[in-house]
Amino acid sequence: MITLSEGVLLDLLSVAILLLTFACLGSKLFDRYVAYYALQSIILSAAIALVAHHLGAWDLWALAVLTFLIKGIGIPVIARHYLIIRLELKRDVAISTGISTSLIIGAVLTAFAYFAINPSTLPSGLLATSPVPLSNAVVLLGGLCMVVRRNTVAQLIGWLIVENGVFLGAITLVATFPFIVEAGIFLDLVAGVLIMLTFVSGLAHRLATTDASELRELRE
Amino acid sequence: MMLVLIILVCCLPLTGSLMSAISERGRAIGIATAVGTTGALVAAIALAAHVLSDGSYQIANGIIYVDPLSALFLVVIAIVVFLAGIGSVSYLCVDEERQELSRFQVRIYGIFFGLFAALMLASLGTGNLGLLWVLVEASTLASAVLVALEGRAASLEAAWKYIIISSFGVTIALVGTLFLYYSASNLNLSPDQRLTWPELFANAGSLQAASLQLAFLLAVIGYGTKVGLAPMHTWLPDAHAEAPSPVSAMLSAALLNTGMYAIIRFYAVAGVKLGSYANGVLLVFGFASIAIGAMFMVRRRNFKRLFAYSSVEHMGIIAVGLGFGGALGVYGALLHTLNHAIGKCLLFLTSGEIKLRFRTTLVNDIAGLLRPAPVVSIALLLGSLAILGSPPFGLFLSEFTIVRAGFAGQASFGFLLLVLLVIAFIAFAHTVARMAVGGERGKFSPAGTPVLRFVGGLPLVLGLFVLFVLGIWIPRDLNDLILRAIATIR
Repeated sequence: MITLSEGVLLDLLSVAILLLTFACLGSKLFDRYVAYYALQSIILSAAIALVAHHLGAWDLWALAVLTFLIKGIGIPVIARHYLIIRLELKRDVAISTGISTSLIIGAVLTAFAYFAINPSTLPSGLLATSPVPLSNAVVLLGGLCMVVRRNTVAQLIGWLIVENGVFLGAITLVATFPFIVEAGIFLDLVAGVLIMLTFVSGLAHRLATTDASELRELRE
Repeated sequence: MMLVLIILVCCLPLTGSLMSAISERGRAIGIATAVGTTGALVAAIALAAHVLSDGSYQIANGIIYVDPLSALFLVVIAIVVFLAGIGSVSYLCVDEERQELSRFQVRIYGIFFGLFAALMLASLGTGNLGLLWVLVEASTLASAVLVALEGRAASLEAAWKYIIISSFGVTIALVGTLFLYYSASNLNLSPDQRLTWPELFANAGSLQAASLQLAFLLAVIGYGTKVGLAPMHTWLPDAHAEAPSPVSAMLSAALLNTGMYAIIRFYAVAGVKLGSYANGVLLVFGFASIAIGAMFMVRRRNFKRLFAYSSVEHMGIIAVGLGFGGALGVYGALLHTLNHAIGKCLLFLTSGEIKLRFRTTLVNDIAGLLRPAPVVSIALLLGSLAILGSPPFGLFLSEFTIVRAGFAGQASFGFLLLVLLVIAFIAFAHTVARMAVGGERGKFSPAGTPVLRFVGGLPLVLGLFVLFVLGIWIPRDLNDLILRAIATIR
C-alpha cells in the first residue's frame, strides 16, 4: 500500500496552485478568472492546514480558516457580485499578447524560478522543498497576468494571485512567522482589495470602461 | 515616559480623523489636523531628546522600538506632517468655499490624511520588520485614497497606477522580509526575535549569506518601488501630480523617506555580512534614479510633475550617499533626507498655493507670479534654489558632503554625480524662473480671505527659514543625533 507523506501532499497542492495560475493565464473569461482564483485560494488554505497539522501550530490553523473564508469565499463572491455582474464583464478583449504567447512566456518564467531557486540547495528540515520555487513561479506568473492584461479587474486578480504565491512561499519557508505579522498582512490584503474595488467601479463609472489601456490621460 | 511619547507621536495626527467623524466643515477638520500634527511634532522632538539622553528604547520583543535612526526619521516625518497639516487648512477652506470639494470629500480627506500620517509615523516606531512591512503597505492604501480624492478621471487613473504598482512592489519587499527571516533560521532565536531588527543586526555576521543577499536585493527593489528609485518610479510623477498639494507634499517628503528608512534597515544588516555588495546595489539604483530624474526634468509642462521627477533625483542622491558609505557618505545621506524633506514639502505646498490662484498646474499658463502673489512667488524661487542645492540653503551642505564622500572613495563616481546634478539644475531652473518672473499671464484669482492667505503662506516661510538655518548652522543636538544614528547602523 502506498502512503502519501505530508511532504508529498504539500508538493501536489503546490503544483495544483501553479496549474491554476496557468489556467488563469490561459483564459479569456472574467468569471473563469474569479473561479480559478477561488479554487486556488481554497487549495492554498488546504496547504496551510497541512502545515498547521504537521507543526501543530494553532495560529496556522487560524490562518487556514481565514484564508478559506476570506480568499476562498469572501473576495470571489464580492468580486463576482460587484465587478463581474454589475459591470457586465464577460469576455476579456484587452490582452496585449496572444494566449499561446503568454503561456510560453509563463513556461519560461517557471523554468527560471526553478533555476533561480534550486530545491536541492535548500537545507533539509523543510516539510517539502519544491513549493519554494513553485511559489516563486506563481509570483512571477501573477505578475505576468497583470502585465499582459489591461483590464483593471484582471489586473486586480493578477495581484491577488501574486499574494497567494507569497503566502505559499511563506508557509513552506518560514512557517512560524509571528501571528501578529500574519494577521497584519491579512488585514492589509482585505483593505487593499476593498479600496481597489472602489477604484475599479469609480473608473468604470467615469470612463464607461475598465480597460487600463484607455487610461491615457496621464501621458506626457 | 518614552512609551507615552511614542504613542503621542503616532496618535496625535489622528485628531483630524476624529474631527471628521463629528464635523464635515472644512475649517474645523483643517484646524484639528493642524493642531494634531503640531502636537505630533512637539512629541517627536521630545522623543528625540529622550533618545539622545537615554539611548534606544525597546519593549515587547522589539514590537515598539526607537533608536537614534528612527528618532531622526520620526523628527523628519513629523516636520513634514506638521507643514502639510497647516497647508491642509487653506486647501480645505478654499476648495470647500468654491465647492470644488463636496462635504463627503472633505470628510474623506480628514480621515485619511490623519490615518496616512499616523501610519507612517508608527512604521518608524517598530523594530519588527514584518510589522514595518504591514504599516508601510497600510500607508500606501491610505494615501491611495487621498490621491484619488478629487475624483477626476485623471486622479483615479493615477491612484490606480499608484496602488497597483506600489502594492506589487511592496509584496516583493515582503518576499525579501521572508528571506531575511529565513536567513536567521540556524540561529538560536525565537520566531519574534528573528524578525526584530536589533537582534538581526547583532547577529548579522552569522546569517546565511545567500539568502541574505536575496533578501537585500528584493527589499531594495520592493521598498525601492515606494522610494521611487528608477526604474520602479513610474507611478510617482502621476500620483504626485494628481494628488491634492498637501498630500503631494506628504508623499514626496514623508512616504518616500519611510521607504528609504526600510531600505536603510536592510542595508545595515546586509552591510555587516556582505560588505561592499550592499553599497554597489545602492549605487546602481541611485545613479539610475538621478539620471532618469534629471533627464525627465527637461521641458516638463506640468510643474507638479517637475517637482516629482526632482524627488526621484533626490532619492537617488540619498541612495548614492548610502552607497558611497563610510561615515561621511551616510552622514550626507541622512542630512540630505532632512533637507530634502523640508525643501520638497515647501515646494509642493507652494504649488498648491499657485494652483489655488491660477487653477492650473501647466507651466505655460503661468508667468509673472511676482506681482500678484509676492510671498508665494518668493517661496517658489528660493525653494527651487534650495532644492537645487545652491548655497546658503541646507541642501548645498548635504549634497556637498555626499559629493565629497564620492571623491574620497572613487573620484569618477563623484565626478559623475556632479555632472548629473548640473544637468538637473539647468532643467529645473529654466522652467521655474519663467513662472516667477516675466510678463504676467494666466487668470489670477485671489485665494480666500487674508487670514487664509496668511495661514497658507505660514508653512512656506517657516520651511524656508529652517532650510536657511540648516544651510549655515547645524545645531549640536541634530549633529549628535545623526552621528548616533550612524553608530547604530555601522
